[in-house]
Amino acid sequence: MVLDKLGDSLRNALKKITKEHIDKKAVISLSAEIKKALISGDVNVKLAKEIAQKIRDRALKEKPVKTLTAREHTVNIVYEELTNYLGKEHSSLELDKKPAKIMLCGLFGAGKTTTAGKLARYLKKKGLKIALVQTDTWRPAAYAQLQKLAKAVKVDFYGDESAKKPVEILKKSEKQFKKYDAVIIDTAGRDALNEELISEINDINKFLNPENRLLVISGDIGQSAEAQAKKFHETVNINGVIITKLDGTAKGGGALSACSATKARVKFIGVGEKLDAFEEFKPKNFVSQLLGMGDLETLLKKAEEAIDKKSAEKIGKKVLTGKGFNLNDLYEQISSMKKMGSFSQIMNLIPGLAGANIPKDALKSQEKNIDKWKFLMDSMTPEEKENPDIIKASRIKRIAAGAGRNENDVKELLKQYKQMNKMMKMMSGRSGQMKKLMKMMGKGGIPKLPGM
Amino acid sequence: MFSSLKKAFSKFKEKTTQVAKKFEEKKLSSIFEELEEELIVNNISYEIVEKIKNDLKRKLKGKEISKEKIKSALKEILNDVLSVEEIEILKLPEVKKPAIILFVGVNGVGKTTSIAKLAKKFQENGNSVVLAASDTFRAAAIEQLEEHAKKLGIKLIKQDYGADPTAVAFDAKKHAESKGIDVVLIDTAGRQHASEDLMNELRKLNMVVRPDLKILVVDSLTGNDASEQAKYFNQKIGIDGIIVSKADADEKGGAIISAAYETKKPILFLGTGQNYSDLKSFEKSEIISKILD
Repeated sequence: MVLDKLGDSLRNALKKITKEHIDKKAVISLSAEIKKALISGDVNVKLAKEIAQKIRDRALKEKPVKTLTAREHTVNIVYEELTNYLGKEHSSLELDKKPAKIMLCGLFGAGKTTTAGKLARYLKKKGLKIALVQTDTWRPAAYAQLQKLAKAVKVDFYGDESAKKPVEILKKSEKQFKKYDAVIIDTAGRDALNEELISEINDINKFLNPENRLLVISGDIGQSAEAQAKKFHETVNINGVIITKLDGTAKGGGALSACSATKARVKFIGVGEKLDAFEEFKPKNFVSQLLGMGDLETLLKKAEEAIDKKSAEKIGKKVLTGKGFNLNDLYEQISSMKKMGSFSQIMNLIPGLAGANIPKDALKSQEKNIDKWKFLMDSMTPEEKENPDIIKASRIKRIAAGAGRNENDVKELLKQYKQMNKMMKMMSGRSGQMKKLMKMMGKGGIPKLPGM
Repeated sequence: MFSSLKKAFSKFKEKTTQVAKKFEEKKLSSIFEELEEELIVNNISYEIVEKIKNDLKRKLKGKEISKEKIKSALKEILNDVLSVEEIEILKLPEVKKPAIILFVGVNGVGKTTSIAKLAKKFQENGNSVVLAASDTFRAAAIEQLEEHAKKLGIKLIKQDYGADPTAVAFDAKKHAESKGIDVVLIDTAGRQHASEDLMNELRKLNMVVRPDLKILVVDSLTGNDASEQAKYFNQKIGIDGIIVSKADADEKGGAIISAAYETKKPILFLGTGQNYSDLKSFEKSEIISKILD
C-alpha cells in the first residue's frame, strides 16, 4: 500500500487523542509524531515542520463543531492541511490542443521510459490517438525499449538511433505529429545538476513548446528531491509530477517535496512494473486512506472494474433465493475479488475497517486459503463445479492430486461450500430462520476474521 | 560528496563547545535537535540519526568537552556505523573460477551500468568476463546489456524475453566453466523488494546458480528507503556487498551510510559518472576522514 508506513504512524498518533476536549499535550505530541512520520517518509524537513506546525496551531486554536469529537476535529484538520498541500481533485493533463504535447523529464532511473509506455496506454484507453517519441540519445537501448513499449500498447513510435541531438529527431518527425491527439516525448535522464542534460532539455522545450512538462520522480528519493526538482523547474517550468515505484516500501515523501518545490501537482502514480500499474492520483482519496478514513469511491470503482455486472446479478439472485449456487459462482466471486487487490488493500478502502488493527498475517493466511480454493477448483471438471454433490472419494483423490494439495483440502473446500449454501437457504427463508442464523453467527459458526 | 555532512558535524562541534565546558544534555538539547535535522537532510535514515545522537550523549555524558573529544567520539561512532567485513573483489577469480557475481536491486538504480563498469575493471585486472542477461522482463534490458558487451568486447549469454532468469544464468555459468572464463556477471530485473513473487524468483536463481558474490546496487539519491531495500534483499537472498550508484549526483552521501549500517556489508564501489572508468573503490577510513577532518 502506498505510503503505508506513513499512514500507520499517522493513525497511531491520532489514536492518542481520546479525550473529549482538545488536550494541549496530546495535540503537541500528535504534531511531533506527524513531523516525524513525514520526515521518515522522506518529506523535506522544512516542509514537514511547516505542516506539523500548522496542524498544531489550528487544532489548538479552532473550536470543534459540537457534533465532532476532539479526535474527529483533529483528523479533520490533518485532512484539510494535507489536502491543501497535495491539492484536492485529480489534476488532469492539458489535452485540448491537437496534438497535445507531453514531455517527460527526470533523473536517470526514475522510470521515464516505462512511464511513457504506461501513459500512452492510459491515454489510448481514453480513445486518443497517441505517438511515443524517443529523444534519449544517451542510454544504450533506450530507443529499443520505447519502441517495444509502443508495440506492446499498439501506438506509433518515432525516434532515430543514429541521431546525436534530440532536436534533430524532433525536426524530422514533427510533421507527423499533426496526425495524433497527443504525443509523448521521452527524454534522456541524468542528474539535474548535469549542465549537458539541462541544456538538452532546454532545447527540446524551446523547440516543441509542450503544454505538459512532467517531472517523473522515484518514490524512494530522499532529501535531494527538492534541489533536483528545482533545477528541472527552473529549466522547463514543470507543471505536473508523476511518482513512480510506489509498489515497494518507498514512502513517496521526497517526491511530494518535489511538488512543493515546483508548485506542480502529482498527476499520476506508478504502482508496478506492468503497463497497467498506473493510476490517476486523487489527493482527497489518497489522504482519506492515509488517515484511515477509508475510501468508498475508490472501492466502488475497483469493484465496478473487477466485477462483470451480468454475472454478479446472476449470482446475487442465487444467493437471495438460496437456489442453484454452485462452485462456478464461488469461483467467479473469488476471481473478481482478487482483481480488486489484496485483502489489506481492500480493507483500507472500507470506512470503519480502514485503520482497524487487523493483523496483516491473518489477512495473508485468509488470502492463501482463497488461493488454495481457486487451485482446487481449477482441477475440477465443469460438471463437478456445476454439481459439487457428485464429488466423492475417487474424485476427491484426483482433484487433490491435480492441484498438488492433499485430500483434506478438498474436503475442507466442500465443507465450506456446503455451509455457504446452508446459510443462503436460511437467509432466503422466513424471518424465524434469520434469527437462527444470527444465533449461529454468535456462536462463531461462521469463520470470522481474527482481531475484528 | 559528504561536504554538507562535514559542515553539519563541524557546526555541532563549534556550537557545543561554545555553550558548555562540561557536557550537560539539558543545555544542549536545541543543538542536538539541530544536528538531528542536519543529518536527516543529508539522507541519513532516522534510525541511524537516533543512534548517532544517543551514542554521542552516552560517550560524552558528564565529561569535559572539547572539539577534539567530540571528534574522537564521532570517529568511534562512524567506525561502528560503518563497521563491515572487507572483501577484495578483484582477487575473487584467484580463489574461485569462474567467480559468479549476481547483481540485484530495485528498478532504475543502475544495475546494468554498474555491471558494465565492473566488467571493465575485471578486464583491466587481466580477467576474462562473460555477462548473463537474466533481466528477461524489462523492455530492451537485453539490448542494453548487449550494447555494453559489444563495446567492451565480451560475450553475452542471453535468451528471449520471458525466459527463466535462472536458466540464463545457469547457461552463462556452464559457458564460463567450459571455456575457462574467469568471471560471470549476472544482470537481473529490477524489482521492488516487497514483492514476494519476484523475490522468490531471485531466491530460485540464488539456489540453482549459487553465486560467489551477491551485490546490491543502491541509488545514492535514495532516502529512508535505502535501509528498507538493503534489509529486504539481505533477508531474502543474503547480500555480500553494495555498490552505490550515481554518487556524482549526490552531495549528501547518506544512502551509503544507511545501506552499510543496515546490512553490515561493505560498500565495494561508488558509481561516479557515465563512463566505464567511473567506478571508484570505497575506503572506510577515507570516507570518515572526509566527514570529520
